[in-house]
Amino acid sequence: MLAEPSQWQQFIEGFELFRDPLLCALMAGGVLGFLSVYVVLRRMVFVSAAVAQSAGLGVALAFYMGIHLGFEVEPVIGATALALLATLLLMMDPTRLRLTRESLLGLAYALSGGAAVLVGDRIAQESHDIQGILFGTAVLVTPEQLRTVAIASILVMVIHLWWYRGITFASFDRIGALVQGLPVRLLDGVLMVSIGVMVGVCARALGALPVFAFSTLSAIAALMLDLRLPWTFFVATLAGIVSGVGGYMFAYFFDFPVGGSQTVVAAMLVGLAMGARALIQLARRAR
Amino acid sequence: MKTDEPVSPDAASHAVPPTFTFGEPLLTCTELVIGYNDKAMLPPINMVIRRGQFVAVVGRNGSGKSTWFKTLLGMIDPVSGTIARGHPEMRSAYVPQTSGIDSLLPLRARELTAWGRLRNWSFLWPFARKADRDAVEVALETAGAKAIANRPYRELSEGQKQRTLLARLIATEADMVLLDEPTAAMDAVAERETMQRLCLLARQRGLGVVVVCHDLEVAAEHADVLLFVDRETSAFVVGDARTVFCHPAFRRQYGDEYCHRAPEGPHRGSDAR
Repeated sequence: MLAEPSQWQQFIEGFELFRDPLLCALMAGGVLGFLSVYVVLRRMVFVSAAVAQSAGLGVALAFYMGIHLGFEVEPVIGATALALLATLLLMMDPTRLRLTRESLLGLAYALSGGAAVLVGDRIAQESHDIQGILFGTAVLVTPEQLRTVAIASILVMVIHLWWYRGITFASFDRIGALVQGLPVRLLDGVLMVSIGVMVGVCARALGALPVFAFSTLSAIAALMLDLRLPWTFFVATLAGIVSGVGGYMFAYFFDFPVGGSQTVVAAMLVGLAMGARALIQLARRAR
Repeated sequence: MKTDEPVSPDAASHAVPPTFTFGEPLLTCTELVIGYNDKAMLPPINMVIRRGQFVAVVGRNGSGKSTWFKTLLGMIDPVSGTIARGHPEMRSAYVPQTSGIDSLLPLRARELTAWGRLRNWSFLWPFARKADRDAVEVALETAGAKAIANRPYRELSEGQKQRTLLARLIATEADMVLLDEPTAAMDAVAERETMQRLCLLARQRGLGVVVVCHDLEVAAEHADVLLFVDRETSAFVVGDARTVFCHPAFRRQYGDEYCHRAPEGPHRGSDAR
């Protein structure tokens, strides 16, 4: 009787099948992890949720247009367009409408979530894809999705590393940067568009839930360690990568949905960082 | 100028030395009307701020101090009138309250100071140059913040935070600096020290210093010019402590006590017109 190959052997033999989703998770996790530092420190956690939710609506609308209106739109275009639209809406000054930013966020989140469910109800044949977008149940990514995520990731990282000093200053001390003559609105726009684009393309490939986790929990884990700002960005990037790749592996070996696994791994990293912080504090006290 | 030792009263306190003369005009407000949505908050403002001059802005909450500040910084358009800079290359710097820097931010004092060098930040070459790094070290040294340069800003005492913000201010090499309640969370000693450091900066570096201050006695003791803003009575009073404290609009808000205690003396340099 032949022995069953171990799961590791199966994984290695079938690696070609898993390579693209792993690469996709690595890039998405890394770049969203980097951006998560801005999301958390600028207290925009809910922005990330609302933009990811809007990306889900964008995909649903793209399917709907193809099926019911005969107008083919690439789902990734739909996701990115709606994510950017939500980003622009959230960049508006809400006080002009006598609203708070939280009100706009609530509106964007509830509207896009509800609309995605309604549109999804009318496109039953693609409901699996919609589930994939919202909760990240997709195991595989298409070469086009991988290419899109790769291009967006490289562009966003190059821009953010190149303009790191300007974007951090404009993000964390807006008035100081304005007074020193930095193009604060432009730098702010670059940041928000980066978040919108990355959330849009990654939500299409991986799902809204893990995208939300990468773009928030990675920074929370890094901030626990109380490092200098550049190191915080670096550790958040690493945490995003570990969540993406580790979550995918966890899902494969324990037979769980991918998006949920990536989200749980990201949350576990926060727990680990909390433990590490407690140990560091204990060691400091003991000294 | 090195200011990490306690500032001696002789060196920095209060009055302008008899021989000291203020320099060129840095900012000239002419018939400047400030407000929002074309609605004036105060009567037209006419004044000049010169090099080496220390101006303290006083007034109650909601009196229009912040609006005037924001207008000077170019963050709000004036309703009418003009603000003329002394020269086109003139540099301004803004120092927020110590609490203005988010306590979540994992910044070291050195990194915060380095932000002061971002005036010449460019999209094409956005990296720090050696001259910038050197200027940051000099600024930390000058502000007496060298020893705390690698400590997280959020863990510093209020006095140390203020020294870090002063280091950033020095790093900007600004001609004029605006400070929003720099001593708000400080005890009396740290407050006095900070005001003395600002005095020294104004004198020795020829900066125009404008400070929003709620402690009227400290303001009167250190500033060359006091500026009282009051939206309720539509008052904008510029002058020495006596002129301001004995103005009817001021007395209406703060009572007569300050007027009785105000020192007699010549006007120390305001060009209120």
